[in-house]
Amino acid sequence: MNSLVDRFSTTSAQSEIRRAQALAADDEEFSDAAWGSEAGFGSLAKGVPTFSVPSIADPSAFLRLHTDDHADPNCRIKIQHGTTTLAFRFKGGVIVAVDSRATAGSYIASGTVKKVIEINPYLLGTMAGGAADCQYWETYLGIHCRLHELRNRERISVSAASKYLSNLVYGYKGMGLSMGTMICGWDKTRCRVPAVFYVDSDGTRLKGDLFSVGSGSTHAYVSTAAGHRDAFSGNTCNLYHIKEDGWHFIGNYDISKMHYDGPGDVPGGPGKGYGYDIRVEGRSSANPPPVAT
Amino acid sequence: MQHVAVPHAQPQQRQFNPYSENGGTILAIAGANFSVIAGDTRQSEGYSIQTRYAPKVFRLTDKAVLATNGFAADGNMFVKKVRQRLEWYRHAHAKDMPLRAIARLIQTMLYARRFFPYYVYNILGGIEEDGSGAVYSFDPVGSYEREACRAAGAASSLVQPFLDNQIYFKNQTPAPGTTHPAHLPLSHVLSLVIDSFTSATERHIEVGDGLEIYVVLAKGSALQGLDAIQGLSELTTTDDGERMFVIRRNLKRD
Amino acid sequence: METSFAITGKGYVIVAADTTSARSIIKMKSDEDKIKTLSPHLLMAYSGEPGDTVQFAEYVERNIRLYHIRNLYALRPSASAAWIRRALATSLRSRKPYSVNLLVGGYDTSEHTPHLYWIDYLGTMSEVPFGAHGYGAYFALSLLDRYHDPEAPLEEGLATLRRCIDEVSKRLVVTPGKYKVKIVDKDGVREVEL
Repeated sequence: MNSLVDRFSTTSAQSEIRRAQALAADDEEFSDAAWGSEAGFGSLAKGVPTFSVPSIADPSAFLRLHTDDHADPNCRIKIQHGTTTLAFRFKGGVIVAVDSRATAGSYIASGTVKKVIEINPYLLGTMAGGAADCQYWETYLGIHCRLHELRNRERISVSAASKYLSNLVYGYKGMGLSMGTMICGWDKTRCRVPAVFYVDSDGTRLKGDLFSVGSGSTHAYVSTAAGHRDAFSGNTCNLYHIKEDGWHFIGNYDISKMHYDGPGDVPGGPGKGYGYDIRVEGRSSANPPPVAT
Repeated sequence: MQHVAVPHAQPQQRQFNPYSENGGTILAIAGANFSVIAGDTRQSEGYSIQTRYAPKVFRLTDKAVLATNGFAADGNMFVKKVRQRLEWYRHAHAKDMPLRAIARLIQTMLYARRFFPYYVYNILGGIEEDGSGAVYSFDPVGSYEREACRAAGAASSLVQPFLDNQIYFKNQTPAPGTTHPAHLPLSHVLSLVIDSFTSATERHIEVGDGLEIYVVLAKGSALQGLDAIQGLSELTTTDDGERMFVIRRNLKRD
Repeated sequence: METSFAITGKGYVIVAADTTSARSIIKMKSDEDKIKTLSPHLLMAYSGEPGDTVQFAEYVERNIRLYHIRNLYALRPSASAAWIRRALATSLRSRKPYSVNLLVGGYDTSEHTPHLYWIDYLGTMSEVPFGAHGYGAYFALSLLDRYHDPEAPLEEGLATLRRCIDEVSKRLVVTPGKYKVKIVDKDGVREVEL
């Protein structure tokens, strides 16, 4: 009976506490953890982070109006976008290759972007679409992969990691996230094979041997010419090799240099530039009949 | 409660546009043991100048400076919130947050507004824990990268190519037997910054009035001729070793 | 999705076009020939707005033929391409322009050189060693950047073309299906089965 009175009275001590709690909950977008260093990603371990959303009927239309540069090139907030990324599986592991150009509208915002996100020493993620979306969620994925390790005393499989990311972004479907990524790694436990998963912001998740994502992907599927056929791709190429012991950074290659001078002295290299005009220099389709002597 | 009868009351939706663009340009360059962060002080909207002195570059700690550009109201609010978080960190840990941690903090703070972005381009400059000069640049929703130099804002497309050429030596071939230096001396960097802004003032209507150049020096590094620069004042508040200066200059006001 | 390719090689041009004729989402016909023989050593693959395509191609065909009849010799490939481009450019500035994309391939018998011209509905023209129109171009062009050889013998050229077609059918959502392939060289025009 006492508890019932407590619950509904407006003067009891409990109601005072209730009021204080409600007040504290009201104006705080930060938890108590924000007072320490836990305020950043640290507090995310407890669950999904919170986002402010404008209080209007259609928040995603608002976002599209101000940030989508395909709908309106004059929109104010130009979010950086990534472009050509490529990854494939083979006997010796996984090869991951990406370009380094970030564009905001038609301006080349950066030519030195790291589009391979090192989630942890044995998992790589690639970046195409919104740069921030990929960077943020793949870092977040890294935290959860580590938590999985600590909880289960076992490395997370590439399949599970990619599904974690896929489920995560699917929760935001229709809100305006834009990412197309490949989660690549070598499973240490269970199947012990290299794996590549394609995950995008629609919620698609595909297992496969070869994927190419981004505006230059059609070109990248068939050759190394994406940097020269797609204006949104270019600058340099970052190359990674995933082996059984984790990923290794192979190098950073200038795409124009590859076009004109080639990769240098590497096995299987052409010994000169990959560019069409360099490759066929001096060759002609003319077919004059032999001159009679 | 009284009901006011509104004849034919229909739900109405107006366009929600909480953004504006206030012009100006910011720029940061990292050296081996210093970092330079600069911005002009003109604030405008459309063709009208709102004020000739509105700082866009802010001291965060004795080794970190944040420059903001885009929508001034968002920028000021954002800096306020970053400073609040840094103060909380100081209370919890009795030290300043390291630069790379500030960079990640800014990412998460920007990304928390992924669906209602701050219209702000941020450049963070300062000294890392290893004593090297650093510049981090951000897009409005938090993607970031450590770089040697970066220009943002209205005249970024004028200034950045100049910096690419003069800092990264893009499209320059070194003289036979020589190589391009990896880091430039402070005096050289300062003259590049001043030239960038005087040139941007000449060619961009939203740039001008005043120039504020923040210089952060790593622990134990000499002044490198900084004391000879006119308009210099020191802002150092702690005795951690890093020193911070600001140089205030005039730019053309037309 | 309409797709056409053309590549040059040692003394020849191969022109290939898919054979589907579509209206909206319906495939109306699957053996349409979209490559016209304009003169003994000249081929033209056309694609674009249904109706416009055939109208424009026949207009070009008759005019090139008229030139041949009047002068007793055919217009050379470079001159033909220039005339065709001009016809499109004039049309673009009219009340109802033709919306047609072309690949004009020919063998110049007087200088023994194959020529290929890429022309779009805006009247943009460029002479190219290989060219493509339609969604297939996104795949074929970068493949040809890597594998095209200006001195390839005919068999090799056909093999390269086959690679293009295979790549498109592998990666494009709506596969164009069968292709018609024609060759022009010193002996004139002929059709081949891939």
